[in-house]
Amino acid sequence: MNTRADSLSTPLARPEPRHPKVRRDELDLEHQPEAVLSVLEADQLFAAKQARLGRARLSKGAGVLLWGLRVYVIAMMLMVAMQVVHTLHGGQ
Amino acid sequence: MDHSSLSLGVLTPAAGRSAASSDLGGGITHEDIDRARDRLAVARARDPGVPAYLRWLRLSWLLVGPGVLVFLGENDAPSMLSYAATGAQFGIGFFVPFVLLTFLMGFVVQEMTVRLGAVTHRGHAELIFDRFGTFWGRFAMGDLVIGNFLTLVTEFIGIRAGLGFFGVPPLIAVGGAMALVFGVILTHRYWTWERIALGLAIFNGLFVPAALLAHPQWGAIGQSFVTWSPMPKGGLFKPDTFLLIMADIGATVTPWMLFFQQSAVADKGLQERDIQGGRMDTLLGTLLAATFAIATIVATAPLFAKGIDAGDYQAAQFAQALEPLIGHVGAALFALGIFEAGLVAAMTISASSAYAFGEVLGTPHSLNRRLSESRAFYGILMGSALAAGALVLIPHAPLEYIVLIVNVIAVLAMPPALLFLVLLCNDRQVMGEHTTGAWGNIAVWLVTALLVFAGLAFGLMTVFPKLFGGGG
Repeated sequence: MNTRADSLSTPLARPEPRHPKVRRDELDLEHQPEAVLSVLEADQLFAAKQARLGRARLSKGAGVLLWGLRVYVIAMMLMVAMQVVHTLHGGQ
Repeated sequence: MDHSSLSLGVLTPAAGRSAASSDLGGGITHEDIDRARDRLAVARARDPGVPAYLRWLRLSWLLVGPGVLVFLGENDAPSMLSYAATGAQFGIGFFVPFVLLTFLMGFVVQEMTVRLGAVTHRGHAELIFDRFGTFWGRFAMGDLVIGNFLTLVTEFIGIRAGLGFFGVPPLIAVGGAMALVFGVILTHRYWTWERIALGLAIFNGLFVPAALLAHPQWGAIGQSFVTWSPMPKGGLFKPDTFLLIMADIGATVTPWMLFFQQSAVADKGLQERDIQGGRMDTLLGTLLAATFAIATIVATAPLFAKGIDAGDYQAAQFAQALEPLIGHVGAALFALGIFEAGLVAAMTISASSAYAFGEVLGTPHSLNRRLSESRAFYGILMGSALAAGALVLIPHAPLEYIVLIVNVIAVLAMPPALLFLVLLCNDRQVMGEHTTGAWGNIAVWLVTALLVFAGLAFGLMTVFPKLFGGGG
């Protein structure tokens, strides 16, 4: 069974591709699971992608930036709304 | 390297095999088998027994895709309209090198999504939700959903306008385009979808012969790249000019591109060893799209030279206005180009929305899936296209305002999207050795700063139009 402890030693970034002793011109992808696994990385499988990654630890600076840019986007969208209303009412 | 705090649920190779062997019909899916088929082709192309040039050609053919599609997809109807307006209002000058610069900015950003997708095999929305949580994820999705839907509407406006030049009724134009978008996904094969989209996207090059028919002044074009002049009359901060600057930036750097390319890279199955190939694909897309964008400026420059006021022109009007200047063939190429731009973008942007929703909902989200296996994914893809297309067919809907602001909204929504991208690409636990280097970080922060500055200037102009010489 795949436990979290198992996966901690396998960073998402670099799962090693597996190269079992199967000749590539003999692979039957439809009927041999090992053939599929020989060309895909472990975390390319649909089943593997169902697992969620953990949360990142955000630094204070990153948190402030995220909030700042969120306020920026909301304020700017209000500006766009103003611009549209202005244009719709015949302004230029 | 410290991976100890990373709580990954990724299957180890052993676990992956176990899941597969326990249920060939379940542990390994149709999606996995199709992706493995694509990977096998790439592995065979790397066979050292093949001559180097053949290996390079075959690998290039197999790895090209997401990068070219994302850039030619972003050369969409509102973008080509922005470039057409730029050429018609300002001719050959400052905007020619400026547009090239915006594409280089686009390359800096999109290259990061290649690395993220190839290393994590996951889409952008999925990573944002997983690493930053639901609260921030919902904001990112909100920006994407609003931007994508409005942009999708403009694509169908382009489709309708482009075919309208040839007398095709709106219902047939929009309905036919939808049938094509839906027909291609029913192949339930990412590779087939990608190749058909690429085949259509090449027709973005129709703007090149249109430009040649305008008999461009090559000397003036060359000079503009060196001197960035002539500058627009009234300066860059004149409100009308600045709106076009915003629109041209929004025509190359937008949130949907980040989400689409990363998801497409993951769906295509790129791996770490393919990152260089993915970069070349992205660079090729950048150069092609920049060439076609500049060609559009060149094609409409005669309107500027003749002093024709094209400030309020829509897509079909550009083609009609160009007809006496570049001939019927040139105008027809221009109209076909607008149609193609809308069609390819309708395919890629609806796919971008579907990928993002599938990733967030945790439902199957691959173009390698059959319709019956992935109803939510295909439902979002087709539903968003249907809703956007239907909106375009409503008589007297104020569609021109959507075209006007859609690229501006893209620019305004981009900085937070870039911040997520920067944080993810510098997350060593996710990216391992593929984190962004110093120069890459400097470049992407410069792009972010420029976008924030442009947004703030736009805001000031809206609130205080007289400050910048506008009429208010």
